[in-house]
Amino acid sequence: MVEIRDVSKAFGDVLAVDDASLALPKGEFLTILGPSGCGKTTLLRMIAGFIRPNAGEILINGAAVDNVPPYRRSIGMVFQRLALFPHMTAAQNVAYPLKMRGFDPVTIPDRVSEYLRLVRLDGFEKRRPQELSGGQQQRVAIARALSFSPDLLLLDEPLSALDKKLREEMQLEFRRIQQELGVTTINVTHDQREALVMSDQIVVMSEGRIQQSDSPEAVYRAPSNRFVANFIGLTAMFKGAVEVSGDGGILVRVGDTALKARAQGELGNGTAVDCALRAEQVRILDDPANGDATAFENVVTGEVRQRIFEGDRMVYEISVPALADAVLFAFDHDPLHHAEHRPQSQVKLGWNARDFFAFPSDRT
Amino acid sequence: MAETAAGGKPLSWRLIDGVDRLVAAAWPRGLHGMNGYLFLLPAVALVFILVIGLGYMVEFSLHELDLATYRLKEAYSLTNYQTFFERPVYIRVLWRSLLAAAIVTLITLVLAFPYAYLMVRTTSAATRKFLLVALFLPFFIGQVVRAYGWLIILGKEGLLNSIVTGIGLPPLDLIYNYPAVILGLVQYMLPFAVLLLTPAVAAIGEDIELASESLGATWIGTFRHVVIPMAKPGIIGAGIVVFTLTLTDFAMPEILGGGTSDFIANAIYDSYFQISNIGLGSALSIVLTLVGSALVALMLMIAGTGTLGFAERKS
Ligand SMILES: Nc1ncnc2c1ncn2[C@@H]1O[C@H](COP(=O)(O)OP(=O)(O)O)[C@@H](O)[C@H]1O
Ligand SMILES: [Mg+2]
Repeated sequence: MVEIRDVSKAFGDVLAVDDASLALPKGEFLTILGPSGCGKTTLLRMIAGFIRPNAGEILINGAAVDNVPPYRRSIGMVFQRLALFPHMTAAQNVAYPLKMRGFDPVTIPDRVSEYLRLVRLDGFEKRRPQELSGGQQQRVAIARALSFSPDLLLLDEPLSALDKKLREEMQLEFRRIQQELGVTTINVTHDQREALVMSDQIVVMSEGRIQQSDSPEAVYRAPSNRFVANFIGLTAMFKGAVEVSGDGGILVRVGDTALKARAQGELGNGTAVDCALRAEQVRILDDPANGDATAFENVVTGEVRQRIFEGDRMVYEISVPALADAVLFAFDHDPLHHAEHRPQSQVKLGWNARDFFAFPSDRT
Repeated sequence: MAETAAGGKPLSWRLIDGVDRLVAAAWPRGLHGMNGYLFLLPAVALVFILVIGLGYMVEFSLHELDLATYRLKEAYSLTNYQTFFERPVYIRVLWRSLLAAAIVTLITLVLAFPYAYLMVRTTSAATRKFLLVALFLPFFIGQVVRAYGWLIILGKEGLLNSIVTGIGLPPLDLIYNYPAVILGLVQYMLPFAVLLLTPAVAAIGEDIELASESLGATWIGTFRHVVIPMAKPGIIGAGIVVFTLTLTDFAMPEILGGGTSDFIANAIYDSYFQISNIGLGSALSIVLTLVGSALVALMLMIAGTGTLGFAERKS
């Protein structure tokens, strides 16, 4: 349905998008995930036709769209700042693409109410955008982007301005509408939770380059490089060197300790590696419910540096002298009933090799 | 007390504290509800003085000139207004002023809008600076100087004609006619219009235009259905300013019209200072004020209450 081949775009010296390729089957929901400034909007705008790539090719429905202006592409787009027309009512906003695209005027009112109903805004036809709440404006924007039945829907972080609760509600709402219509969608966000919740496929981007392209589970479970491992989840990163390498299982020396790890990529003996360890895979062994030391391949002792109470969980920051003072994160998911580990107290931590990634180190 | 603690405070804080205390003594708390009105006073005073002047003019306009004494007669009469309506020359002058105001407004808006648009949208800092300087430069050169500038360019022995005669053609009559006055006025009004349009255009986010395009509008459609309607308050505001300034203009018809294209202001001037008829001059002034106000009111009515930024408020 959508295919991007080796697309690049530079603004002066800034390489905003660097040799990006991706493919999206019809009806799927893809999220481009990456930190602010990594080139997400630029990539999306090239698909929409607002920006021309310096190199590479974009195909929609199998045809290159190089010379197709935006208004001829069958693409609905929801903008970061929504870009609703303030001088038009909700209904007029939704009718706008139908008028511009020459729909039979007789059918327009029906279509408008159909799509306002789809986004649950029936009864708000006559309101202007400034008379609607943030969530309602989102709904108008999505109805407007969909009313002409586009082949492709593009979302440029439309939810980023909402507060957390409304954002999570709208994530599910967008997903419901997308599945109801079966419209192929590319979403852009810097919010990993949003990407994991909404998508069939996640493309992780950093500094204009695509880092990994996979299902949400695969991106989370098997990050292909240190950027992805670090960016998604609460991850402790520290440096080490390969001591013994076998097939899959390796030993990594960190400080004074040798740890069993999972090699991501070719790692010969002596290779400098970046280790990544997610907080939820680390068990605090002083809590009896977490099992004992024999159940874990790696066990260390550390000192609590900080604890952060988040209501549904406690996040511990623990520094481990035996790992050259590396700082690990660990969760306690029942902080109200478990013993509290105060700062400066000693705790024993355990984790397994399959959850402990070793990536070849960058030279930096 | 503040004085004892003041040692560590910056001097500017202490100064402002002192001023605040003085103000508090002179303007007790009970009167704070009227603070807003206080700031209105200078404007109210100005308008009030204008109204007094207008009142005097109404009074003058109702007395006929006594040709024996060259004083206004004691008795009230509508003779001056009668003169205005009976003498074709005055009707013609009024019509000429109105037509010029309409033409100049139209041309100026058509020229100013792209200018403002380019200035807001250009990605090149150099272009924006150039456009800004070109916009403000004329403000430093008064209207009269600019009118004489046109004389130098368009006059019988002006720059243009020296080229025309240089290639062996007879000199052209480029000044002392209506088009020359219109040209001078458009050039004079352009910066005002651009200045008033720029914020209106800047308020339209670029995203809005891109959205319109992705929804299926060509750039013409986007312009018609999105840019123009959203810039309407600025367009109406600029239109009213240019229209009234042109309608009441004196210098351009005087200098570039050379008596062939007098506006009402020129007729008023002549009544006061050429034929010393204060009554007739006042009557003409009143007519001009009434016609101008009525037209501005009409424009605002047609444009709707939402223009000029007074958003319609719904409960
Ligand atoms: N029109 C532009 N002119 C110059 N630089 C730009 C322009 N648009 C984006 N960039 C640069 O390209 C990079 C990627 O920007 P963008 O695609 O907006 O990132 P994101 O949407 O991921 O935050 C940034 O470094 C940004 O400064
Ligand atoms: Mg962006």
